[in-house]
Amino acid sequence: MNNYFINVVNLIKNFDDQPVIKNISFNVKKNSIVGILGKNGAGKTTLLGMLLGLITPTKGDVYIFGKNLKSNKEEILSEVNFQSPYVDLPKKMTVEQNLFFYSRLYGVKNFNKVIDTLVNDLKINNLLKKNYGSLSAGQKTKINLCKALLNKPKLLLLDEPTASLDPETSIFIRKYLLEYQKKNSSSILITSHNLNEVQAMCSNIILLKSGEIVSQGNIKQILKNYNYKTLIELFLSEG
Amino acid sequence: MFSRIIALLIRYKNISFGSFPRLISIFYWPSVQILFWGFFTNFLISNNSYSGLGILNIILSAVILWDILFRGQLGLTMSFLEEIWSRNLTNLFISPIKEFELVISLIFISLIRTIIGLTPAIFIANYFFDFHLFQLGFFLIFFFFNLIVVGWSIGFLVSSLVLRYGHAFEELAWAIIFVLLPFSCVYYPLESLPPVMQKISLVFPPAHIFESMREILINDLIRYDLLINILFLNLFYLISSIIFFLKIISISRKKGLLINQGE
Repeated sequence: MNNYFINVVNLIKNFDDQPVIKNISFNVKKNSIVGILGKNGAGKTTLLGMLLGLITPTKGDVYIFGKNLKSNKEEILSEVNFQSPYVDLPKKMTVEQNLFFYSRLYGVKNFNKVIDTLVNDLKINNLLKKNYGSLSAGQKTKINLCKALLNKPKLLLLDEPTASLDPETSIFIRKYLLEYQKKNSSSILITSHNLNEVQAMCSNIILLKSGEIVSQGNIKQILKNYNYKTLIELFLSEG
Repeated sequence: MFSRIIALLIRYKNISFGSFPRLISIFYWPSVQILFWGFFTNFLISNNSYSGLGILNIILSAVILWDILFRGQLGLTMSFLEEIWSRNLTNLFISPIKEFELVISLIFISLIRTIIGLTPAIFIANYFFDFHLFQLGFFLIFFFFNLIVVGWSIGFLVSSLVLRYGHAFEELAWAIIFVLLPFSCVYYPLESLPPVMQKISLVFPPAHIFESMREILINDLIRYDLLINILFLNLFYLISSIIFFLKIISISRKKGLLINQGE
């Protein structure tokens, strides 16, 4: 188990007796970037929710860093973070207040210095004194990413990481995430409908369909096995 | 643990006192209420020559003590609802925060908001009406903490219902206290209620608190039986409401309600 950051074992989730995740198992290696693909309603958000401890599984177990999430939640979550355009930060606080707040919540040491470095890297210094609620969708995405990196997570979960960003900023963010992952030997799990982005960033994918894994593994290998040239072709046929 | 509680307290301080309109709303209502009831009582006294029982003291004490309960409840509920309104619950619950740390933070911010909100009202009452709340002595502290505990119990109940059943229950944050008001005997003695209502009133701590307050102010009598009732009832309600709140969080995790909650 030590070679893996995530071990999902026979995970099942039903909402009101409706199966949403149907007995899935997979592993995510240390130092890797994995894409979770699937159409709307495939179970991606539910799966992310269970990996973050936000949703209690009906059956099965989630192990992160080799420890059971159920019984080691606080310890695990201090080394994990998450970013999604569908999850906001407090709107009535400035960006700086938000970053301070989350730094304290994650127990980040010397957080002034950490924030300083991150806002410089992400080029968001000019937004620090602005109210989070007054920012554009693209600016919020960058701030959310900054918040997600505050605790230097060993495991980073990203939901549509470049949503609402212009092409130039999207490329910048992708490059930044790839560098971050290499530099910190962390693992990143990405859900995205932007298949070009997934293909550019991820080494492996997990393809979900109606709560089941229909395909998982190395992207090149999967495309070769199924005889597809691109992820889009695979997604349209198998997803 | 402390750094996370302090983080939450700073966050709630930023929400509560970060904007001028919000800051004003914390001070405004308690002060206006005191002025309204003070002038009204003065008018009654001057027309009826009915000042022997220190009616002004009784009414103003009741107004301030009732506001402790109201502000306590509102301070807790609003702080929690702010997390829902700003769609911040997901970020909060994926952090290493423990649920009891959230409970402690909500209690502390409610305490701070209540003290800050009521302090000007007490000074206004003293300046305009020569009113001395501290006439209640040690029991003022006892009543303060017991009334704010009632507010917290109601606050956890309302927060739980909003979390579980959604925005339709938000109205409860303002309304629920007025359901309790007739049974609380704030401005009249318990015996003035019909027998059925008296029985219901005795199930809740406020009736015992306001009866005790009147006994001290009118008869200079300390009713220890009432004080014991207050302590036991409050302990029961506070523990029950916190357990209920934690249970609802657990149910929300099962039902997936902590993702994408918000406006």
